[in-house]
Amino acid sequence: MRFLVVLIMASLLVAAVFAADSYAARQLLRADPDALPGDAMLLRFAVRRGEPLFEARCAACHGAFGTGDSVNGVPDLTDNDWLYGTGRPAEIEKVIDYGIRSRNPKAWNLAIMPAYARPQPNPGDKNIQPLTPGEIGDVIEFLMRQQGRPADAAAVSRGAALFTGHGGCYDCHSLDAKGDSAIGAPNLSDAITLYGDGSRGALYMSIAYGRQGVCPAWITRASAASIRELALYVYSISHPGTMQNGS
Amino acid sequence: MAAGVLIGLILAGYSLFTARSASTLIVPAEDVALVNQQPVSRADYLALLQTLYGVDLSHATQEQRHKVLDDMIREELFVQRGKELDVASTDPDVRSALVNAVELEIAENAITSQPSEAALRQFFETHQDRYVSEGVMRVRDLVFPASALGELPHDPAALKRAVDDAPTLAHLNGRDSGKTKGEEFYFAAKIHLGDELFAAARDLGNGEVSRPIQLSDGIHVLDMEQNRHPVPFGFAAARPQVLSDYRNQAVDKLKLSGESFLRKRANVLIADDLR
Repeated sequence: MRFLVVLIMASLLVAAVFAADSYAARQLLRADPDALPGDAMLLRFAVRRGEPLFEARCAACHGAFGTGDSVNGVPDLTDNDWLYGTGRPAEIEKVIDYGIRSRNPKAWNLAIMPAYARPQPNPGDKNIQPLTPGEIGDVIEFLMRQQGRPADAAAVSRGAALFTGHGGCYDCHSLDAKGDSAIGAPNLSDAITLYGDGSRGALYMSIAYGRQGVCPAWITRASAASIRELALYVYSISHPGTMQNGS
Repeated sequence: MAAGVLIGLILAGYSLFTARSASTLIVPAEDVALVNQQPVSRADYLALLQTLYGVDLSHATQEQRHKVLDDMIREELFVQRGKELDVASTDPDVRSALVNAVELEIAENAITSQPSEAALRQFFETHQDRYVSEGVMRVRDLVFPASALGELPHDPAALKRAVDDAPTLAHLNGRDSGKTKGEEFYFAAKIHLGDELFAAARDLGNGEVSRPIQLSDGIHVLDMEQNRHPVPFGFAAARPQVLSDYRNQAVDKLKLSGESFLRKRANVLIADDLR
């Protein structure tokens, strides 16, 4: 008889935990994702469940701590510097849902860094013409100056004209080279580099041979709940104060 | 015992009414509506709110929320009707969209999986010829009248001295053709010089001149100032491109095997005259 009572109590406890989790999961999905950082209980719930999902699905590229890999152009998710959007949970969720250049029709796929040392820098846009080695060097000097680093003055002037002229760089990176997070064009005037160490050699590799990193779309491979949990986990590692504040 | 039975009944009832396949009254939390049991995704709803009005859920007005939801329900109704009418059999856009969607579905495994470093290295080693820098050359293309052939020195060193000396060049009626301009990538030099001259230029070292090459417009001598041959990239430098190429190849393979599977299970009858 005592065994039966213990069994019933244990079953009730398991059912209660299950029901609470299930309730929290539903609340999480029905909430406005951008309002979730303000709900400490739901945020903790999501982050707890998001961490193992991150390890299973994202860590292979972004690293176990989400710090990325600049050798391979994998962005650091902990620095609150956003290539796509401004770091709102809904924006993070959209990237996880549809990916970047993932072939999903709703993916972020507008920005492709052309390979200016190839006969056809961007096969999808015939208007983009190759640059000469000297012109690539000039653009690099212009970028050095934009970052406040020493650069050859004459080359900076030629590079600026190329950047805002027939090089077409301004079209994505904007006239001041500060990028455009609406299309995923990186800011080239700050110290954060997506590929390489920011040296002239690394810049040459990017301009000469192009870049087009891929983030897969998870919308058909993971549940809506998992994706939201992942998004909030990524939000939490990029906003370390969020969890402590519990705001 | 009765309590156990009661708990069992409660759990069974809960499962029955909340399980996806049996749900008739409850809209799952990840959806915003069910249209004839077909879910309308909350993620798509939020994305559409953002696209149409530039607002998130908490900043959207009641009117905006209703409008977006109503548009999505309308779309779902028309999609369902389209399936009933089998519009794919007649509308080329629908057929094309379906082909793309099925190809994407087939390719998803290759896009979402992360290949091992060993697999990438092997791919890199097998296709190393793809991962090389573009060669760069700075070359002068000097052109002489056909009559100058007899006067041009045969010895390469003497020919080099002749083309470097302006008065001698003038005496031989030689001039820069202007086809090349400063430092150029190989592909650009090839376009500017043409295949025959580029083939000769490619093998020249810094400071070397080519033998005289007779073409329809005269005799050409190439004076190579600087020639940097293509250099193979190391694995680390090539890795982003290797990963992209590896995935593209995997996607192509999956598409082929997917198509092969569909063909195998299909019953395709071909008209007598086209067999």
